[in-house]
Amino acid sequence: MINKKKSQEEMVGFGLIIIIVAVIILIFLRFSITKQKSNIESFEAENFIFGFLQHTTDCKNNQKFLNVKELIFECYNEKNCEDGRIACKVLNSTLTNIIEKSWDVNKGSQYHGYKLIINSNQANLINMSSGELNGNSKGASQDFSRSGNEFQILFSVYGD
Amino acid sequence: MVKSQFKIQQMAFMLLAVTLFFVLAGIFIFIFKFSDLKAAATELSEKNALLLVTRLANSPEFSCGEAFDYADIACVDGDKIMALKQNQKEYKDFWGISNIEVRKILSNKTDECTIKNYPDCEFIKINNDNETGDFISNFVILCQKDSFGGEVYDKCEISRLMISYKPI
Repeated sequence: MINKKKSQEEMVGFGLIIIIVAVIILIFLRFSITKQKSNIESFEAENFIFGFLQHTTDCKNNQKFLNVKELIFECYNEKNCEDGRIACKVLNSTLTNIIEKSWDVNKGSQYHGYKLIINSNQANLINMSSGELNGNSKGASQDFSRSGNEFQILFSVYGD
Repeated sequence: MVKSQFKIQQMAFMLLAVTLFFVLAGIFIFIFKFSDLKAAATELSEKNALLLVTRLANSPEFSCGEAFDYADIACVDGDKIMALKQNQKEYKDFWGISNIEVRKILSNKTDECTIKNYPDCEFIKINNDNETGDFISNFVILCQKDSFGGEVYDKCEISRLMISYKPI
């Protein structure tokens, strides 16, 4: 009788050890297999921001074609192009064009969404996004100032 | 006697099970660590490839230098590349790259740039080799001198500098 009880206790103990070990393995697997979301500073995104800021637009002011950076200043000051178009609208359409032709976020492609934010003195000038903004992202930011006004550009692209 | 033998056998089985468990756990850890290492290596090689493109863009044969008002880093001079295209045979094997291409992102044209249609074209191609290998690209700004209403101005367009090289 005593022997039987002892062996039962051993079996319970063995069962407990198996359960504890199984739980530890499951926790380990969960952290290992689950893809960790990452948000990395991307060299490509950095070059992209630098590139579009220097891109010459078709908005002319003071006898000169403005680049995107200058167009951001014009947008901030609520000015228009020489042909009467609103600077912010030209900026918005130019940036949409550039992003959509640079980063394919359609189904089946490497990326599935993007987000671009341009802030000036804490106010939001441009806020555009498309697709699904989840999963791993890579992005970059750039700050610059003019006439005492601070501008900040944040760009992120989301992919698998 | 039989009971102690049974106890020894039980302990031997237990020890065997514990050893087996640690071996399996070790294999698991090793596999996951190894896969992380592979991902890190891929990421590093991608970064190196992007840096190679930027290094090429900043080389004297491509870079804008002081010719343009705004652009400095990752700025390529379209006029320089067109001149280089005319002498591409001289530069064969100079960079160890098969092909170099600069493609405008916002272009309503689809033609390759030649001396006849430049700058109203979509891409400039420098063929060092007819074979194409692995292909990498990064964003650059392609600048050239243009004129409007008789006045010369700097025209810069966001582009992709693409290079292909033979895989090792």
